Amino acid sequence: MWSYLSKRIIQMPLVLVVVSITIFLIIRLTPGDPIQIMLGMQTSPEAVAALRAEFRLDEPWHMQYIYWVGDLLQGDFGRSIRLNAPVLQLLAERLPVSLALALSAMLFAVVVSIPLGLLAALKRNTWIDYLATGYTLFGFAVPNFALAMILIYVFSITLGWFPITGIGSGASTGQGLWGAIQPYVLPAVALGTLQTAIFTRLLRSSMIDVLNQDYMRTAQAKGLQPLVILLVHALKNAMIPFVTMLAIQFGYLIGIQVTIEHIFAIPGMGSAILSAVVNRDFPVIQGFVLVIATFFMLANILADILYGIIDPRIRY
Amino acid sequence: MATQDASSPAATPATYESGTRMALRQLLRNRAAAIGLFGVLLIVLLAIFAPWIIPYDPTAIALSSKLQPPSFAHWLGTDHFGRDVLARMAYGARVSLTVGLSTVAFAALFGVPIGLLAGYVGGQLDNVLMRLMDAFLTFPPLLLGVAIVGLLGADLTTVTLALGIVQIPVLARVVRSSTLVVREETYITATRALGAGAWRLVSQHILRNILSPLVVQITIVFSAAIVAEASLSFLGLGVQPPTPSWGRDLSEARRFMVDAPWLFMAPTGFIIVSVMAINFMGDSLRDALDPRSWVRRAAPTKETADAPADR
Repeated sequence: MWSYLSKRIIQMPLVLVVVSITIFLIIRLTPGDPIQIMLGMQTSPEAVAALRAEFRLDEPWHMQYIYWVGDLLQGDFGRSIRLNAPVLQLLAERLPVSLALALSAMLFAVVVSIPLGLLAALKRNTWIDYLATGYTLFGFAVPNFALAMILIYVFSITLGWFPITGIGSGASTGQGLWGAIQPYVLPAVALGTLQTAIFTRLLRSSMIDVLNQDYMRTAQAKGLQPLVILLVHALKNAMIPFVTMLAIQFGYLIGIQVTIEHIFAIPGMGSAILSAVVNRDFPVIQGFVLVIATFFMLANILADILYGIIDPRIRY
Repeated sequence: MATQDASSPAATPATYESGTRMALRQLLRNRAAAIGLFGVLLIVLLAIFAPWIIPYDPTAIALSSKLQPPSFAHWLGTDHFGRDVLARMAYGARVSLTVGLSTVAFAALFGVPIGLLAGYVGGQLDNVLMRLMDAFLTFPPLLLGVAIVGLLGADLTTVTLALGIVQIPVLARVVRSSTLVVREETYITATRALGAGAWRLVSQHILRNILSPLVVQITIVFSAAIVAEASLSFLGLGVQPPTPSWGRDLSEARRFMVDAPWLFMAPTGFIIVSVMAINFMGDSLRDALDPRSWVRRAAPTKETADAPADR
């Protein structure tokens, strides 16, 4: 297992190089000059040239890339052209928001999917199984931004239970702990519903697999308590694919928040990239995409590690 | 493939039902498939025949009749420019379906050959190609779309390019893993022993036998592309106004959620129904194309009948 993992970890920088060169190429080979956008058309050519030189935009793209990687290795993500602030500082502001949102979406997905998947597997072909299947089909089909609109209409506009915006703006209408949680509820549900569907379906099918195993019959024959059989023998084994899927989906959640951030006016990483793209703020796009890709890869490696730990049969 | 399909019934003894027909029969017996097929057909027909079905121009501004709730004249109401919402949904379906189809075509054009090459040749080439695909898979799909469309400018070509690139590795992986399995089958060895070249083997025999997982994956790519196009349009990066688009209309409806809630309900409903219908079809296709789920004698007869008939 360790040799497999070390191979994966050694491959990581290589994959990141491919990812960063690709994003570099996309950015540099497309029209649109960030300096021109920022300064407008009336500025003197000298001022434009000076600023271009400051951000090394007058160099050929491969030299820019080498400079960028060199700075990166020293922990310098560069400066935002638009905001004239270090990209690292922006990351420090935006990353915690995105992580908190991904975590709350994950929490919602886990809290709903474990009982739902479990009950659906235990009570197959009953109303609860059909409910779980219906919910899963809906979760797979509804895009998160469309669900967000439905939630806002029902819970914010009609019922008035939740604020429409709130994360990072202090506009929460609640008090104390509820005030801190409240603005996260609707975005987390909208973002996490797809994951809920994935987890429910996965847990249901792996639970059905496990329930048909010989060792379940053995456990029953030994006269163990039904609850012990369910939790220790069945659920523990059914959770193996579930836990690895948790890790993979967490990495994924950080990269798909942009529409949800857009609707709920959340200052996360997705909205930062969106505005950086509009303003051609190259250093911000490069830095943020690299961080998100790193998280995604780390999540996948974590999934492999968890897989090996939980299931001793798995040998890489 | 098409010629191969046409010639195979002749090669198969008449007492055996062809695999394609058997799959089709399985598909029609399934209720979910019927619902899915009905939903997809409905939206496709609406998109194609929109000008003849709906008596309104989706871009004609009529401020005198703005923000009207659903009525007999306007089944889904009108928007803030007085445009008929049903007309906009029907023409928006054209955009969604076009982007979905072209994304699938683009992703398949690159993903299928890469997967076949990696799976059939194997070795170092496989390793290099698949690591490259892994690298592309680490791009957050939507953000790559935002970057490409945002930087290159929004039109159908860039949207297709942006959405297709992230789907190439998805198709390549499915094709590769199925190719690895099929490559080791006895009938492939037999065909090779009969002197078939690599090109003939891959294009006639392997490709044909990996079609079922490929077709299922293509339905998934198709519905993902529709959602992704709507997402980009929602962020203001998709097709530009006044061209109707579900995502763009949904985004504009945000300003009228209190006064005109039907404006956000229509695109939401259309997106959910079309994605659900496509997913239904994909799930049923997977069941119908999987010979193990058939009760009667199935695929092996077809496959074994194939190899010698190729002489």
